[in-house]
Amino acid sequence: MASLATACRLSARLASRKVTQDVAARGFRTSAASLAAQNFTMPALSPTMTEGNIASWKLKEGDSFSAGDVILEIETDKASMDVEAQDDGILMKITQGDGAKGVQVGARIGVLAEAGDDISSLEMPADNSKPAAPMEAKKEPEAAQPKEEEKPAAFSSPKKSAQKAAPQKYPLYPSVEHLIKENGLGESAISEMTPTGPQGRLLKGDVLAYLGKVTGDRPAEIAKRFEHNSHLDLSNIKIAKAVAPAKPAKKDAVAETPKDLQISLSVSLASVIEVQKRIESTIGTFMPLSTFIARAADVANDELPPAPSADELFNQVLGLNTVSPKASRGYYLPQVAALPPSSFTGVAPKPKASQMDIIDFLASGTKKSTKTAPQAASLGCLGHLYRRQYFYPNSAPGGAGAGTGFLVADEDGSGERPWPTGAVKDDFFKWEKAIYVI
Amino acid sequence: MLPSRLISRTAARSAFIKQSSLPTIVSPSTRWRRGYASQAEEKDLVIIGGGVAGYVAAIKAGQEGLKVACIEKRGALGGTCLNVGCIPSKSLLNNSHMYHSILHDTKNRGIDVGDVKLNLDAMMKAKDTSVSGLTKGIEFLFKKNGVEYIKGTGTFASENEIKVALNDGGETSVVGKNILIATGSESTPFPGLEFDEERVITSTGALALKKVPESMIVIGGGIIGLEMGSVWSRLGAKVTVVEFLNQIGGPGMDNEVAKSIQKLLKKQGMEFKLGTKVVSGDKTGEKIKLEVDSAKGGKPETLDAEVVLVAIGRRPYTAGLGLENIGLELDDRGRVVIDSEYRTKHSHIRCIGDCTFGPMLAHKAEEEAVAAVEYIKKGYGHVNYGVIPSVMYTHPEVAWVGQNEQELKAANIPYKVGNFPFSANSRAKTNLDTDGMVKMLADPETDRLLGCHIVGPNAGEMIAEATLALEYGASTEDIARTCHAHPTLAEAFKEAAMATYSKAIHY
Repeated sequence: MASLATACRLSARLASRKVTQDVAARGFRTSAASLAAQNFTMPALSPTMTEGNIASWKLKEGDSFSAGDVILEIETDKASMDVEAQDDGILMKITQGDGAKGVQVGARIGVLAEAGDDISSLEMPADNSKPAAPMEAKKEPEAAQPKEEEKPAAFSSPKKSAQKAAPQKYPLYPSVEHLIKENGLGESAISEMTPTGPQGRLLKGDVLAYLGKVTGDRPAEIAKRFEHNSHLDLSNIKIAKAVAPAKPAKKDAVAETPKDLQISLSVSLASVIEVQKRIESTIGTFMPLSTFIARAADVANDELPPAPSADELFNQVLGLNTVSPKASRGYYLPQVAALPPSSFTGVAPKPKASQMDIIDFLASGTKKSTKTAPQAASLGCLGHLYRRQYFYPNSAPGGAGAGTGFLVADEDGSGERPWPTGAVKDDFFKWEKAIYVI
Repeated sequence: MLPSRLISRTAARSAFIKQSSLPTIVSPSTRWRRGYASQAEEKDLVIIGGGVAGYVAAIKAGQEGLKVACIEKRGALGGTCLNVGCIPSKSLLNNSHMYHSILHDTKNRGIDVGDVKLNLDAMMKAKDTSVSGLTKGIEFLFKKNGVEYIKGTGTFASENEIKVALNDGGETSVVGKNILIATGSESTPFPGLEFDEERVITSTGALALKKVPESMIVIGGGIIGLEMGSVWSRLGAKVTVVEFLNQIGGPGMDNEVAKSIQKLLKKQGMEFKLGTKVVSGDKTGEKIKLEVDSAKGGKPETLDAEVVLVAIGRRPYTAGLGLENIGLELDDRGRVVIDSEYRTKHSHIRCIGDCTFGPMLAHKAEEEAVAAVEYIKKGYGHVNYGVIPSVMYTHPEVAWVGQNEQELKAANIPYKVGNFPFSANSRAKTNLDTDGMVKMLADPETDRLLGCHIVGPNAGEMIAEATLALEYGASTEDIARTCHAHPTLAEAFKEAAMATYSKAIHY
């Protein structure tokens, strides 16, 4: 059940939106009735406001206004406030002129028409606004005018529920705590307040607004200003001048693609295939060549110098550690071509009779692993010597249907070294041996 | 035996991890590529500029697991701030302040000092040590976070590719899925006075003068001008500040605070010519001559000095970046046009820091760097531009955050003011350093803090508290009800809050 305070606040919010609502409501109607002008009633500017005086109208009858324009100034016993238009429109008629005293909240004070309407042809709406009687509101809060008159569904905005639903999950600010204790407010009162602070935090102003010590929408106004200030002002950007796209420059860029040093090197995978066959005959599992090469690359990459530790890096920066390699870690990227598709990525044939598990195979291969390790390690040095090498496929057709071409590109531009073909070949075969035990 | 252990471990690991996927056709290795093209490796993020915006973005991106490269042509990371800006100037400010206080201030503290001599070379060396330590520190952080550091000048070749003319000669190119422009700013030159960094200097030259000039004119009474003016004034130069506006400190500084610091700086020996326009300059003679004119059309005057520091502001630096190659737009002040998520019109190219909109402050650039990387990685980032503090490291320091009194007045926003002078603060009294005050501006009804302006000892550190309060939407009562240690300068801050919402105890 809504309490008095809720009802009051709701009414405040509704009333302050009155202008929008009245104008907006018309937009939904398609009948001739949409041409009727809308009543403009006395807004409630604070939860406790029941009546107000009209200090002065800032517009004359027949004046049109746009959103944000001040329509009139209203005085209450606490403060005088400007009432701003929420939407464009025309002030058709003023029914309570300057200086009108004690106008009840909700009573008609004027008539508004939509922007662009011909007000001479519009009919005046009936004054059906019931001023909210303060006594009545106090006794039966749920009967307070907004609920009945204003189609609550239309503006029980998500904003409201979001603000209200969230209980204060942070410790209360010292000032908030103090005010609550001082005024003997309870938990339920806190949940009734509308927080306007960052991430739904309850501010001192929110408590003061709840207590009716400041105008009700003041905290929200300030919050809105802070929100506005929190963004980079990107309005009114004046573009210097149309920058002509320099097309010739682009062409140059394309022409001057960096010249990588590329070395072509054919490597036979005969022994790999032999291994492949042996695996197949031993355990009946067909392993595609891609698996071998990928794994070889992984092993080779793992053997590259490990990523330096924080201490090493720091020492290196300070120049204390001269031994530390200056080369980047790099990695091997094998790219394979000129293979018959079947042997490379072919579908595995059905395993043969032997059902020996791969784990058994690996377990029996551990000895070999240890034996070949130093050789595999020597391959690791490759990464050391030639940082950032890429293996690219060679377009030259490989021999015997099982040749793999490698192009080795040294990308850091500093490598003018001749590629030691023989050494690499040897290394590569050692590499194969490493694969063998996997 | 290290290699053997490694290989067996590797082999075992490969066997167990990959075994399950044995019959798969496509290798699980991410390094596996098949193709003929030999193009450069593609990065997730390529950053042009290794200044505060660029290096912070690079480290953040590295931490977020992006493959990132940072291009910097200076040869040292950290940009203007670390190399020729905030950091070296703070070194000189601190050391010149010590020199100045030993010369003038130790006697009434009961310390008799003999002959005090300035060794400018050693002072500059101390500055250089600080700077190189910090820039190397960033290089270390780059390595730690896997950032590739490319020393060279980057130019857009296409929307995704950046050509880099390497500092060591040669050329390379990087391709990035995302590109971040963080090229910073440079000193705005004064028309008719060409920089030689010896007699007509920018802030860069002012950090590296070979000897203390006899006289110095500072054109521009903003933060940079007043800080560098302070340094050389303390070291013995006769410093005159010529400012076009009617207040020093630039437009963000509160009028009352600006007047107060002007008085204090004047006491220290600096001369001020406000509302004065420099018409022309002539550096042919032994001394540089400046024709000045009262901005309101008073009598023209000729000033001369050994050195002229031009500190009339900074402008975005995008020269040589090749923005025209990809059709990126600049606004009338040379700033790269962006949207609220720092995107240029090519949505994968973003721009942050001094070369785009907003105040030219290192900490603003740093915030943007983090936000921009978060936009790339997570789709959301945040910088609260309403709560960016400013600090001027003169003595006493000046610091502020939020809105100032003249801004509130101009926007017709109601406010209340609370002041507390350091002369009523116990710690300031014992330090014999009582110049200045804390000034708070708050909403008169809800008491929410709108701005805080401090001139006084340690203002730059104290402003952090005001910034936090603003960020959390605190009222001055919240500050006043928060316990502050005694005796500290921060008590002045608390008392100013008390003065705003009710009454200060000690004043």
